[in-house]
Amino acid sequence: MRAERGAVEGTEWPGPLPAGRERSLVRAAQGGSAAALGELYRAHWRRAHRAAYLIVHDAAAAEDVAQDAFLAAVDALDRFDRRRPFAPWLHRIVANRAIDWARREALRRRVDGEAEPSPGGAPEGLGEDVMAALAELPAEQRAVVVLRYLLEYTPGEIATMLELPRGTVNSRLRRALDSLGTRLGAER
Amino acid sequence: MNEARLRELLREVAVPGEERAEQRGLALVEAAFAERAAEAGAQGAAPRRRPVSLPRLAIALALVTLLAALLLSPAGANVRDWVGEVFTSAPKPGPGLAEIPGGGRLLVESAEGPWVVQPDGSRRLLGAYREATWSPRGLFVAAVAGDTLTAVEPDGTPRWSLSGGGPVADPRWSPSGYRIAYRSGGQLRVTAADGTGDRLIDGGVAPVAPTWAPSGLHQLAYVDAGGELRLADTESGRSVGAGIAPPGLIALEWAGDWILQASPTTLGLRPIRRTKLAIAPGVGTARIGLELPPGSEVLDAAFAPDGSRVAAAVRLTRGGRERSAVLLYALDKNAAPRRLLTLPGRLPELTWAPDSQRLLVAWPSADQWLFLPIGGPGRPRALSGIAAAFAPGQAAAPFPRLEGWCCHAR
Repeated sequence: MRAERGAVEGTEWPGPLPAGRERSLVRAAQGGSAAALGELYRAHWRRAHRAAYLIVHDAAAAEDVAQDAFLAAVDALDRFDRRRPFAPWLHRIVANRAIDWARREALRRRVDGEAEPSPGGAPEGLGEDVMAALAELPAEQRAVVVLRYLLEYTPGEIATMLELPRGTVNSRLRRALDSLGTRLGAER
Repeated sequence: MNEARLRELLREVAVPGEERAEQRGLALVEAAFAERAAEAGAQGAAPRRRPVSLPRLAIALALVTLLAALLLSPAGANVRDWVGEVFTSAPKPGPGLAEIPGGGRLLVESAEGPWVVQPDGSRRLLGAYREATWSPRGLFVAAVAGDTLTAVEPDGTPRWSLSGGGPVADPRWSPSGYRIAYRSGGQLRVTAADGTGDRLIDGGVAPVAPTWAPSGLHQLAYVDAGGELRLADTESGRSVGAGIAPPGLIALEWAGDWILQASPTTLGLRPIRRTKLAIAPGVGTARIGLELPPGSEVLDAAFAPDGSRVAAAVRLTRGGRERSAVLLYALDKNAAPRRLLTLPGRLPELTWAPDSQRLLVAWPSADQWLFLPIGGPGRPRALSGIAAAFAPGQAAAPFPRLEGWCCHAR
């Protein structure tokens, strides 16, 4: 599984760390360098946080999910295999925890019988239509869309991350794209 | 759907509070990393992975249990199913302010100032103060007069005063007894309980009373001017955590590893993530929203002192006549909310007995205090003539405010 392939031109995201640089940062962090850990954090936080938000649709929950993933990374730092890329491991945690949260929230809302106001506020402005379209999808479909089109993993990699058959990933992607296409309009 | 366009759209979505979230996350991760390094240093070895500590494991198990109770309780007894009112009507009021059911002493604020009500119902005006609060053992009261914070004995004898740079509000005595937090102007400050060592904690805070960690550690939760929930170590002055707070908070209370957040439209519990060096709101994404009747407005909410329950007074907006209800949320194996009582008018305040066995509910439109037994012995009691009891000689006195119930309930 490879590392992230980088940001789209025009976004303000930091570019992906070169593999060698990332390995040296992980090694330095394992040796106790807070600066190295900070650099790893800054390189990966925004993607992780955004991915979580696009899945859970709740700003506070997304922050919790991303924080949890990074704390898990700190906890497991000594066991981390430096030969492997850091991002897929982090994103696997983010995606699975975000799905768990979204499932629990969906269950709770079914039990409550109505939607609860989000403390993070409803998304407004840029991307509102995208969020509304994503909200129509089950969390499992949102997750594969985010992993595929935000974080740019292949269906095979997504299948590994979510412990799903590859065919299931492909079918979820297909259904999600059909739904998003209908919702957002064919012109997009 | 064009896949390239979808990529662009996903990256263009505005994530609320993205930059602040990144800063909060970095502070938390750095603190956790420092803890790891400190532990490794103490062991004299390279940093090693910590085993999952028992407290964290216990927190995780408690969260799982609570969530399971909240979400997986039988459908017939789930959170949709109000169990029916525990008390079908208000108790018949006794004549005047007499013995406090369950004992203990009350702090009550009238237009004249705060009063201490003794267990036998006798009462004493402390002076021209407001916003009084008990010290943890009830030996002193902290109160406010304009720009001044004052500590007085329960008989009204002043012990010390401290003048701030602006109107003082919301004093809160720490559970250790050694510190008092208060707002002064737009600032949050903390002083030692003898009035010395006054220090600034935050230069810009929201008008919400801060809440101390119940552990006795000098850690304080508050809402800053930007609307963020912040946790501070008041000894070091260091911020040890932050997170998103619902807008318009009216109450913030910390019990166990939970922070109760109440706004007019939401009632929720925020778990505390705790390591040795860092605490922060939020762990395992297990924020819990407590169910409210549809369209209701939260008037007041409070944690039981033992942290086992949350009580809330809500105004019911459905139907023509104004009604209010008292709701009880048990945070143990059965987390289903119960509606204790529904009454006409507003129930603006409630406070727990120090032993968590009774709830005192203010019912101004009936000029009564209601004492509801919660899980303990006794029957509901009502005391009437409350307004006149704190405004001797006045024909039409306003109903007094409840400020606290302390400390040696029997």
